[in-house]
Amino acid sequence: MPKAFRAAAGMTGLGLLLLVMGAAIFGPFLAPYDPQTFHPADRLQGPSAAHWLGTDQFGRDLLSRLLNGAPSTVFFGLGATLLGVGAGSIIGVIAGTAGGWIDSVIMRILDGLLAVPELLFTLLIVTFLGGGMGQAMLAVAIAFTPGMARIARSSVLSIRTREYVLAAVARGERSHYIVLREVLPNAVGPIIVEATIRVAFAIMIGATLGFLGLGAQPPSTEWGLMVAEARQFMFRNAWTVAVPGVAIAMAAMGFNLFGDALRDSLDPRRSR
Amino acid sequence: MSFYDIPRRSALLAMALTLAVPTLGAAQGDPKMGGTLKISHSTRIATLNVLSLSGPAEYPVIDMAYSGLTRIGPDSQPMPDLAESWEGSADATEFTFHLREGVTFHDGTPATASDVVATYEAILNPDVPASAASVLNMIDSVEAVDDLTVKFSLKTPFADFPTSTAHANARIMSEEALAGDHAMLETVVNGTGPFKMESYDSARITRLVRNDDYFIEGKPYLDAVEMHLFPDLAAETTNFLSGDIDVMLLVQQADYERISSAPGVNALRVPSGRYVNVVMRFDQEPFDDLRVREALAYAIDRQLLVDLVLEGLGRPAHDNILSPEFRFRIDTPEKNYDPERAKALLAEAGYPDGLKLDLVASNRPAIRAQVAIAIKQMALPAGFDINVETMPHDTYLANVWRKGGFYMAYWGMQPTEDATFNLLLTSNASYEDTGWANDEFDALVQAGRSTTIESERADAYTKAQELMLAELPYIIAFYEDVLTASRENVQGYTLNPINRYFYLENVWLDE
Repeated sequence: MPKAFRAAAGMTGLGLLLLVMGAAIFGPFLAPYDPQTFHPADRLQGPSAAHWLGTDQFGRDLLSRLLNGAPSTVFFGLGATLLGVGAGSIIGVIAGTAGGWIDSVIMRILDGLLAVPELLFTLLIVTFLGGGMGQAMLAVAIAFTPGMARIARSSVLSIRTREYVLAAVARGERSHYIVLREVLPNAVGPIIVEATIRVAFAIMIGATLGFLGLGAQPPSTEWGLMVAEARQFMFRNAWTVAVPGVAIAMAAMGFNLFGDALRDSLDPRRSR
Repeated sequence: MSFYDIPRRSALLAMALTLAVPTLGAAQGDPKMGGTLKISHSTRIATLNVLSLSGPAEYPVIDMAYSGLTRIGPDSQPMPDLAESWEGSADATEFTFHLREGVTFHDGTPATASDVVATYEAILNPDVPASAASVLNMIDSVEAVDDLTVKFSLKTPFADFPTSTAHANARIMSEEALAGDHAMLETVVNGTGPFKMESYDSARITRLVRNDDYFIEGKPYLDAVEMHLFPDLAAETTNFLSGDIDVMLLVQQADYERISSAPGVNALRVPSGRYVNVVMRFDQEPFDDLRVREALAYAIDRQLLVDLVLEGLGRPAHDNILSPEFRFRIDTPEKNYDPERAKALLAEAGYPDGLKLDLVASNRPAIRAQVAIAIKQMALPAGFDINVETMPHDTYLANVWRKGGFYMAYWGMQPTEDATFNLLLTSNASYEDTGWANDEFDALVQAGRSTTIESERADAYTKAQELMLAELPYIIAFYEDVLTASRENVQGYTLNPINRYFYLENVWLDE
């Protein structure tokens, strides 16, 4: 891929990311209307001066709903990823550092879990935990854990035999010092890159769960739920589906492109 | 009178006619034999056990495969089915049914009075889960007088008994099947209806074929009926509009306009007594106070709810559990949206600063949450601060239904006044969930069922309704129309507002 194109993709990603994060932080304060207020006379309208992105079946302002739904949508993705990355990193670092049979047992279990597709795995956990925002977030985090553990472990393994680690061992440092001070700071790059890309997936899975009625519940304005509620009016006013749908795509693309760019800049073989 | 008045008036007249005779497609000539009718539905046919099934797509299947003693006709009155005639004693405590001669089950064995007795004994057996039990619990004994005569003795007089025997879950099964393992009833069908089960795949297609020995000569017209499952509503609509499906069993309100205006399609809209109700328990605060219940009733704009949630495909209701289809229904005073009055009532009840409440709505079907969210918004100016709590349907059934103080329920229309009151409102109702337990109301409902004299029944049911409207056990904001659609070549397809009887033996294809 040409370098300029990659740079442009990275900048686009950053731009989308800033836009989405801005909406998530400031959105509820910028919304022109209350997201729950009905405007029965204006229901199922396209964009207009009064309603920039149109209205839904109750005549609720779509822009206001979108802005109010941004925090729950975006922070769901961030929160689920953070939990998954945290748990996965701990498990991966333990496996990579301990080695031997501990490593083997942990990794075989994780391999088994990795064989189940992430979305299916999430659905299984949500079915077990019951629907709802918190449960859905936990489910995504659990589903992310095996993959993150694998990445953390491989990072640790590649670092474990570096000279500075061996030197620390030779100095007689205690193992928790070695892990926290020598191994982890140097293994963190790949984990961050992977985490950024995973936020995109987490946002999409969160929206999927909301769409299926297993995540956010009405009257929440979570974007996946907005798509689900608007779906039956798709043929009457396509905007009701397109608005939250495009927003989900923008959020996912933002994190994805930004994560790619981050990986490129951290990968020594690619930077020239 | 201007020139334009005439067409408009005839259009109104045409509309009135369609409502009065809800049959699709004018019959063009004599019915033609043959063909396969494909029906689409969006909910699973999970079981075929007549005694206990309750799914919207399960009812058409048993309506095709089985017969009851009686059946509810398109005019909502009981009509002959397996019984060709019946008579009741003057005090309404004894009913005798005369069965048709020579009727056989699909496996060839004759259907006689002993099968009827076995079926009703199974329904009344407390160890057998049977949906019809609560409607038939007035039966004291049932006996076969001879092969073709069945006599019921009732514990209490019950004038509507021939309507109760038409209950969709009281279809006659064979004595042999009932004596065997009831688990077999889930998948094996042996009825006397116009169609026989050919294949049953609960996740895809259920196919029934013509019963050549059906007791009505010359019927059914169709060779076969296929029930196609589409779990996705959009896919169901698309398949119907593309012509792959002949009948779409249930049309969603949001799709009705698009479907009814599509070429080659007949859409059918049947006014029904189906409703979403707000449950407010009498034995829990704050709804133990009538003024709070009344305040909420005035805080709801009923016409707006019909427009927003039902797309106009329904009628505003004013808390009467009986829709205008019921014979003994009284004229019900209208409650107009009046947040000021609601506010005053709240203040009187001791909540001058408004009232904060949690309203539970299960997530299935979506209409419960839609109504709840609309009520939340409408009731805001009246001082109600309602937090809508949605939850999975199973959680709702386990934790909230018949326990919670404030939640959304959703019920279909019942065939009689008695069945409606005894489903929910009397103190020993099957699904009593109000905590009302009003002796006077119980006595009035009992009086209404105990006599065959029309004026006495009308009097009892009038008083019962007046009492209900005064005490306000539920808020019922609208009656929802039943919506269905068929392709133009489908003739004779009709629906009953109760939505349990489908008369598919009358349907034929005009190709």
